[in-house]
Amino acid sequence: MTAATAPAAPPAPARPARITLPAPARLLRLELRRSIMPWLAPLLAVLFWLTTYRPAMANPPFWNVRSGMVQSHAMLAFAPLLAGAAAWAGSRDRRRGVADLVGMTALPPWARQVAAWAATTCWAEAVYLACVTVLYVVTAHQAAWGGPLLWPVAVGATFVAASCAIGFAAGVLLPGRFTAPLAAFVMFLALAGGAFALQANISYAQIWPLNVQGAFPADAYGIFYPYLPDLPIAQLLFLAGLTAAALGGLGLPAAAGGRWLRAIAAAMTAAGLAAAGTGVALAGTARLEAHGIVIPALHDAASDRPTSYTPVCAHTAIPICLHPSYRALLPDVTAALGPALSQVAGLPGAPVRVTQVALTSVQAEPSNGIAFGGPVISGRPPVLYLPLAGGTLPGQGTASAITENLREQDGPVILSALVGLPGELGAQAGSGAAEATPNPGSRHAAQVAVLDGLVKALGMVQSAPGGRIQHGTPSGANQELAATRRFAALPAAARHAWLATHLAALRAGRIPLSEVP
Amino acid sequence: MNVEISGLTRRFGRTQAVAGVNLALEAGVFGLLGPNGAGKTSLLRMLATVIPPSSGTLKLLGRDPGSYPQRRQIRRRLGYLPQNLGYYSGFTVAEFVEYFALLKEMPPERVPAAVTTAVERTGLGDKARAKLRTLSGGMLRRAGIAQAIVNEPELLLLDEPTAGLDPQQRVTFRALLRDLGLRATVVVSTHLVEDVGAACSQVALMDQGKIVFCGTPAELTAQADGTDAAGDAPLERGYSAVLAAARAATGAPS
Repeated sequence: MTAATAPAAPPAPARPARITLPAPARLLRLELRRSIMPWLAPLLAVLFWLTTYRPAMANPPFWNVRSGMVQSHAMLAFAPLLAGAAAWAGSRDRRRGVADLVGMTALPPWARQVAAWAATTCWAEAVYLACVTVLYVVTAHQAAWGGPLLWPVAVGATFVAASCAIGFAAGVLLPGRFTAPLAAFVMFLALAGGAFALQANISYAQIWPLNVQGAFPADAYGIFYPYLPDLPIAQLLFLAGLTAAALGGLGLPAAAGGRWLRAIAAAMTAAGLAAAGTGVALAGTARLEAHGIVIPALHDAASDRPTSYTPVCAHTAIPICLHPSYRALLPDVTAALGPALSQVAGLPGAPVRVTQVALTSVQAEPSNGIAFGGPVISGRPPVLYLPLAGGTLPGQGTASAITENLREQDGPVILSALVGLPGELGAQAGSGAAEATPNPGSRHAAQVAVLDGLVKALGMVQSAPGGRIQHGTPSGANQELAATRRFAALPAAARHAWLATHLAALRAGRIPLSEVP
Repeated sequence: MNVEISGLTRRFGRTQAVAGVNLALEAGVFGLLGPNGAGKTSLLRMLATVIPPSSGTLKLLGRDPGSYPQRRQIRRRLGYLPQNLGYYSGFTVAEFVEYFALLKEMPPERVPAAVTTAVERTGLGDKARAKLRTLSGGMLRRAGIAQAIVNEPELLLLDEPTAGLDPQQRVTFRALLRDLGLRATVVVSTHLVEDVGAACSQVALMDQGKIVFCGTPAELTAQADGTDAAGDAPLERGYSAVLAAARAATGAPS
């Protein structure tokens, strides 16, 4: 120490800034330097890789699937950790024993707290957006059609800010060593509670920030139809409102600042609560449509128009045309359906083309909310309208699962429709199905035997549509089994020739079991 | 007057920490002596506007700290070193001092030079970029002093500033105090009477929340004349004599 006044030419221990930043910017820079978040960034990156990147890469490269994951999967991992980290930052002054020291400074405590929150949030946003960028860049190289969806990123980024604000407020109001883990745990519980509320069909729970276009998103949104911004707008309102309310609440105590500052804080809190309430109320009016969640007050009817696209086709015996998003799956789909289609190609009533359609056969069901349709043959000439995925939705399965699903479920369904057996195809086919299944409700042993023979010959797994007939005697079942074996043993050309001449009679139920070759 | 106190009290529950203090201070170094629990820290915290008084009037730098706008003006011109200095371990010395310069609302263009000066004056120039967690206790204390003086305060409140400083640093610090006292009112609360003797132009002795003596160090020394007060140094003997007299007057054990 030296008693002299400022020396004439002191050495410069603190690097002088070349540009004089304004005080808030200098304060933010200092807060950024001492934030805990850089230490947490590797952990957040690993969590993102485990919870989001790996599952995303296991799915086909659809923008809707992967974009949805940056909101749902990523934030499930990020939000509790960020709330805990922000609570740690918020309780810092008390923990560090500097409450007296900072409490006697001129800058209003609220401004100081907002700077600390902003630094925590800046780091968190940077980590989140960097992770999202990596996922999007990889997806851009893999995806065959479309572009990144920004609404889920916007919701995710706002949720980052809200998590930090809520955690920070908890840290300031309840400073302590255990505030951080407690804040993280409470945030996790809140997210879990939201999931349960959503599954319990509580309409207001649609606001749940991890909710991406409903509990069971179909592949229609963002591919066959534009991505509906209705729910994201309500979620943004809700999350921005929570952020404003949490930060505004910190400015309400008498010690937080002057009269004007506290008035601003009160207005901010009120506006935040109003926005959050509005978001929840809007979510309460949401309804699940075929291509996403519609909120009447926010809905733009232009979003209901399908997107235009040029399908990609495989020129097989029966051409298979898919949405360009599914280009990568075309060989797999062709391989999965090819054997069944080549068996039926040219037969009367067989489809002349396979066209992929969206999973739009969404029906409200009291039990679980929605159901998805299967393939449909309709029109003249007949066209097989095929929704891909079926029970294995994008986001919930892999590409191989989708093609496996096609091979084991949709293949037999197509064949059963061809031989005239009622099944899922007929039940969900609508008006067009009547052409493929002229005799629904009846079930003849010859039809079952032929279907089973085809399935067996093509190496498919028999599924629900056909099923065996309940014969009165074991001998009836044995006869059907024998016919199945006979038909399966025929050369493919012989089966095709027999079907070409007998299919109409078979579908009409006029072929006895004994006439099956 | 930079500090005007009249009938100032502060209660913490049933404990009367400060019981009717009257003081008027101009520029100079003012020593605040007293045994543990005398109320020195509570008085300093009120002067630092950290806690409000329970009763009495307090004027700092000609302003009323009870009014928020005036309190803010006072705080811009105030420096404070608390008894237990907390710190942010991730900060460097320069960042720590810069942080408080900004919290004291110094004009941003003045901050870099002010930080450099404060760090130099406390002898931490070569440690400016060292993280606070790597510093010794004495160096941390000096970093605390640096943040207190960075805004060239008109009222500087130092609670046990020399605790943890080595003898050489203590000597240098007293010189710094004398220099600061030329322009500002410096209130130094301490147990170490030699600090008071070396640096203070005025001294007050507190006991049981009250000021029992106020005068120059020479006058405090003179209080021991004709008594058998204990102490190794004349000022210590004066301190003991005043304390014994005060306790005899109130019937408290000395």
